[in-house]
Amino acid sequence: MQTIGDEPVYEVFARRVEGEPLRHVGSVAAPGDALARVYARSIYDEESWLEMYVVPRRAIIAVDDVRGEAVDAHA
Amino acid sequence: MSTPLLDRPSALPRECVAPLVDLVVALADNKHALGLRYAEWCSSGPTIEAGVAATAMAQDELGHARVLYGLLEELPGAPRRSEHEWVAADARTVAFVNAPFAGWPHLIVANLMIDRTLATVLETALESRYLPLRQRARKIIEEERYHAIHGQSWLAQLAADSPDVRAQLTAGLRDIWTDVLCWFGPADGGSLRALVDAGVLAEAGDAVRSRFIAQLAPVLDAAGVPAPLRGAGGRWDLAEPLPWDRWDERARRIRPS
Repeated sequence: MQTIGDEPVYEVFARRVEGEPLRHVGSVAAPGDALARVYARSIYDEESWLEMYVVPRRAIIAVDDVRGEAVDAHA
Repeated sequence: MSTPLLDRPSALPRECVAPLVDLVVALADNKHALGLRYAEWCSSGPTIEAGVAATAMAQDELGHARVLYGLLEELPGAPRRSEHEWVAADARTVAFVNAPFAGWPHLIVANLMIDRTLATVLETALESRYLPLRQRARKIIEEERYHAIHGQSWLAQLAADSPDVRAQLTAGLRDIWTDVLCWFGPADGGSLRALVDAGVLAEAGDAVRSRFIAQLAPVLDAAGVPAPLRGAGGRWDLAEPLPWDRWDERARRIRPS
């Protein structure tokens, strides 16, 4: 059981129109995917989004190493 | 041959007007009261996100009440109602929303039971022959999807919290149970029967109550929250009779005993 107020963070991404890149609009803390969807819809409703997604922050993989290699390649 | 749509109040069969007025008043009054109750938790939910979600649901419910009150302006003999002239004493609401919720578990019980009941009844108007009702029902049901996810997710979370919180959920459920289960009307739909016969609603009474129970029972069962339901072979039935002798069909609520 998760303590209320100590829930995992979900990053929220959305796009306004077809063809526009998905952009990061914020984050929510929620005990699971279902409530993360509800919270993202309630909090980031300032625009009529065409699509909106929530991604568990733990599922996001840092690419620092790749960036380092790319920089090296151009050194 | 398709059945013609009823696009204005004067096209409604005479016997439908009074039952439709009563149903819309009760739907809108309960939604307005529920919106006010949700709003009391805007800044005091268990988390910031929960408070914002309560605020959004409050806005939705107050908005739904406003569009339903708009229906009444067109119907002959309807009482005057608007969100600006709302008087709690005149409202045809279930007792559970007449006072502030005792705690967050009670808000979730209202979300799961009352919010869902009103939505389940409005779902029977999605293909209504009465166009003004059908158009409003579609918009409302679209927003209600998120209220359902909110109620079910929070119920599971709270039920896993502690015996005390589970006891609060059980007590809230017991308080609201008969009002909600009677809301769909007697077995044949009662006064809503005329609306079903005219194609204004698709179903009423037992048919809608069974669908509500079929959605609710697995959610309560999975959360381990007891309710007077009996399940066998994937089918759920009421374990206790409903108090129809105290049912006020016009106000759609149980009279105090």
